[in-house]
Amino acid sequence: MSEAPATTRIWDPTIRLFHWLLVGFVGFSWWTGEQHDMEWHRLSGYAILALLVFRLFWGFAGPRTARFGQFVKGPAAVAAYAKTLGSKQAHAADGHNPLGGWSTLALIGVLLMMVVAGLFAIDVDGWDGGPLSDYITFDQGRAFAAFHETVFNVILALVALHIAAIAFYAVWKRQRLVPAMITGKRKLDAGETAQELRWSPVLALVGIALGVAVAWAASTGFRF
Amino acid sequence: MTRPKFAALTALGLAAAAVVCGATLATAAPSAGTTIATRKANFKKMGAAMKALKGELSGTPDKAAVLKAAKTIAATGRVQAKLFPAGTGPSSGEKTDALPAIWTKRATFDAGMTKLVTEADKLITVANTGNASAMQAQFRAVGGTCGACHKQFRAD
Repeated sequence: MSEAPATTRIWDPTIRLFHWLLVGFVGFSWWTGEQHDMEWHRLSGYAILALLVFRLFWGFAGPRTARFGQFVKGPAAVAAYAKTLGSKQAHAADGHNPLGGWSTLALIGVLLMMVVAGLFAIDVDGWDGGPLSDYITFDQGRAFAAFHETVFNVILALVALHIAAIAFYAVWKRQRLVPAMITGKRKLDAGETAQELRWSPVLALVGIALGVAVAWAASTGFRF
Repeated sequence: MTRPKFAALTALGLAAAAVVCGATLATAAPSAGTTIATRKANFKKMGAAMKALKGELSGTPDKAAVLKAAKTIAATGRVQAKLFPAGTGPSSGEKTDALPAIWTKRATFDAGMTKLVTEADKLITVANTGNASAMQAQFRAVGGTCGACHKQFRAD
């Protein structure tokens, strides 16, 4: 028997890839947006759309820690969990805790709003915009652009909260969440048995294909 | 001078003064707020025309629609050049994205405005030929003039 500390798998490879690609593309979108580099900004937005579609699909077809049905809890569970936040005891269950589940949903929802607004947005010069801006008037496109800018502040706030929560868990609960999102594993507690993390590579490919297909269709303005 | 005559002359003088004053009022420069509102509305008109061009040129362009939009940009551009008198910047207290650089680098700004009108006129010429790829190229040239000025003279 190996002497290495026993670990249990909590995040499957696709969800880790999703997470870090999302981090990269959101950062890249921010940068290209500030630089007014709309060619790259659009491409980055399509990539984020593909990632989000995959994530929504994975929320129903992925392993237990990815499923909305597993981590989206009612108000009673959220309140009960919130009461234990002050305790130094780490949360034992795998995946998103009842509070973090809602944070995840909020991030996905806000990013979706951001991408959709971007698809319809038009710049102030009226000559550069999202692929769906052709379907609406200049004023409507400008309204989407304004909304696109406003929602970005909400994204920044949610990301800040996300990072603050990770820091809180690291400092207060001595629970390091980032390595788990990189390796997919966490250490087993004494007396705990490892649980399986079943996921289907075929379904993962279906999800990826779905994401790419939706993003590609949107990028053409649904003109085939 | 008799009294009635004096009264009549006075009345005449007052009337003349009133006419002169009225004329002065009529030709007086509009307020900064009015000027800013007008140029904003004009820029929106040009933006909508650019968007119409973008839509036309992303497929097979309709010559008449391209011409109409190009003419809107050329005509409105000519008006816009005159809508940036001194005192209509952010210091006017009105809400405007016009940067003070417009008035400190006036020659550059005016040259940019002239270039916009020149390129828009060229687009009208090109649209008349009906050559789609030439229209596309000239549309880019017009769009380039928007961006070039906005980078220097418009608050983000």
